[in-house]
Amino acid sequence: MSFMQPSPVKYACSCGILNPINKLFFCRHCPKLHCGFCVTHEIESHFCSNCLENIPSTEAKHKKNCCANCFDCPCCQHTLSARASTVPVVRKSEESKDVKEPKDGDSTGEATPPVPASSKPSAVPTTKKMYYLSCLSCRWTTRDVGIPDQGVATGTWPDNECLYQARFNALVEYFQAVVLQEKQEKLEFMRRKAPKQHKFPSLTDRTGLTVSLIRRQIGWNDKVPKAKAVITPAESTSEVEGLPANIFTEQPNLRNVTTIAQRHSQPADQPTAVGSLYPQRRSLWIKRSLRCRQCEHNLIKPEYHPTSIKYRIQLFASYHVPEVVMVRCEQPLVPGKSNAILLKLTNPTMYDMTIRLLTAAPPEDAQVSAETTRVVKEEPISSSPLLKTVGITLSRQNSTREVKREVIDASNAEIVPLESEFVLSQRDDSKEFDEYVQLPTEEPKFIVWRKGNKVLVRLQFTPAEELAFGTDVVLGFFMQYTYVNTVTNASEKKEPTTHALHSRVFITAGATEQKAT
Amino acid sequence: MPSENRIKILPKAVVCEESNLRGDITFSSGCVVHPSATVIADAGPIIIGENCIIEEYATIAHRLEPGASWDVNNILSIGNHNVFEVGCQVEASRIGDKNVFESKCFVGRGVTVSNGCAVGAGIKIHTSQLLPQNTIVYGEQGLQREAIDKQGSQTLQIDFLRKVLPNYHHLRKPNYDPKKARSVV
Repeated sequence: MSFMQPSPVKYACSCGILNPINKLFFCRHCPKLHCGFCVTHEIESHFCSNCLENIPSTEAKHKKNCCANCFDCPCCQHTLSARASTVPVVRKSEESKDVKEPKDGDSTGEATPPVPASSKPSAVPTTKKMYYLSCLSCRWTTRDVGIPDQGVATGTWPDNECLYQARFNALVEYFQAVVLQEKQEKLEFMRRKAPKQHKFPSLTDRTGLTVSLIRRQIGWNDKVPKAKAVITPAESTSEVEGLPANIFTEQPNLRNVTTIAQRHSQPADQPTAVGSLYPQRRSLWIKRSLRCRQCEHNLIKPEYHPTSIKYRIQLFASYHVPEVVMVRCEQPLVPGKSNAILLKLTNPTMYDMTIRLLTAAPPEDAQVSAETTRVVKEEPISSSPLLKTVGITLSRQNSTREVKREVIDASNAEIVPLESEFVLSQRDDSKEFDEYVQLPTEEPKFIVWRKGNKVLVRLQFTPAEELAFGTDVVLGFFMQYTYVNTVTNASEKKEPTTHALHSRVFITAGATEQKAT
Repeated sequence: MPSENRIKILPKAVVCEESNLRGDITFSSGCVVHPSATVIADAGPIIIGENCIIEEYATIAHRLEPGASWDVNNILSIGNHNVFEVGCQVEASRIGDKNVFESKCFVGRGVTVSNGCAVGAGIKIHTSQLLPQNTIVYGEQGLQREAIDKQGSQTLQIDFLRKVLPNYHHLRKPNYDPKKARSVV
């Protein structure tokens, strides 16, 4: 599988976008191909990529999606690491309080115990570890901006508060109150509009008393006190500070001016001088789970723990759909001249596959289509009880109608379809180590080579006559394959069902060459 | 160019035998030269100051300009407490004190490095320029910044190397004693 370079073989997703197979997912319940554009993305868990600490989503929201312990370098956006330096502390036995010596800013090695001449011989020179944050990439340290060294490596680093932090907090508080009030009013309105029919008649209902009436009778306020508007609108001013006089006379020192990236990494105050760069809390990363939009089954579900890179559910297409790899073209690509391409097909599943390469969409198998429609109908009911609890977000996602794209038929070569179908045997890892014996089996003509679950197929094609020099020749065909589905949609059916699926495959064979004259 | 190598090693310098030295080179006391480090003095003598560390595959070159020839007065002077990390290539015209050349960096000809500078890993400086005091060159784009904090000193590392290197490598013997030389003069 070509991993790092763009693959010449692309599969058409069910939403119409072309993707290489390693970017596609396969929903076993639909059963269809899906890409990152036509699935629902959900946040599985938040974690810090540096300390690998798992942070619950409410806590992450509270901490503004930042890690509490890890910092990024404001200069080069790498992770800062805590460095220790020993600082001499002279503890006098007579006096109870410790007198801290002015620490020498240099490194650990030069921590000489400076015993003042006045101190008594009983004074015991001890050292204390002080920590500062340092960037191993650009040598930025917290001492550069005058943050004092801390006695503990994590947790005590001060947040830099910008000038208008108080104003910002007041605004946030106010608007949160406004939103809350609006929500309550809406709720109240809905309640009044559609009076809920209680199953059991309550005392207050029978007497015509409502809660608000009772409250009024007691003498309480009718409603929950409204949030007071405490904010003052911002005032505009026409007086702007002029530029400092020396800006025209002195040459700017570009080494002290921050870059755009540095300013954006510190969005609150966006400093212009290097001296006011402060360590920034590291943003959290997420683990993501993907869900099919049609049937709401999970396609990808990672393991919860951040240190694990495994999946609980992983329906990558390359585990289910036969992989097509372009090997080579037999001749140089010349417009209008018949050619042949060698394709290697691999069966990743544990069941034999019957594969046909067609030029037109295969007619839908009546049995299969009936089954799929039934599945679609059944699915929301079967999956609903669990999903209803979290259903708000899901239903919202589903209500956005996805635009059905037509697959752009980019092929510009005519393909001679294979005369018959062929069987791709199941994947068997132990077979890889067996001694390979070529069995004298009767093979169709187009099969060049076969071993285990791999087969090399020769496909004849002719690039279109009108292609200009240097244009890419794209072969497009329908690959129909049988897929054995081991998941049972209905509980009473236990045996795996076999589907005849097809997907469109486009192969960029290469650029055309000069026509031989 | 002189026909033979004239390498002066002052006492307390640790220069491994497997290092590649060519031309007239002076190692001041306390220098540590790792095996397979390269120092080439083609254009003129190189004088390396005290307590410098030249790590493996580091290259310090004082190359001939096209058409020029060996000149005794064309001295490449390197100050004290410099660190040349693994795989760096330094062809600077003058180097001050307490500089760090990180791994795989390249400092081209005509660059004057003052004091307390640090050239980040993999950074290539080709244009001739003066790196002012405490400049730090970092990042993919070779951005420059002035360090306010001093660079940590390398005394611990140099002490360790001075202890460990003789256990595993043959050393070139110190062959030049400034006290004796002074008495001769």
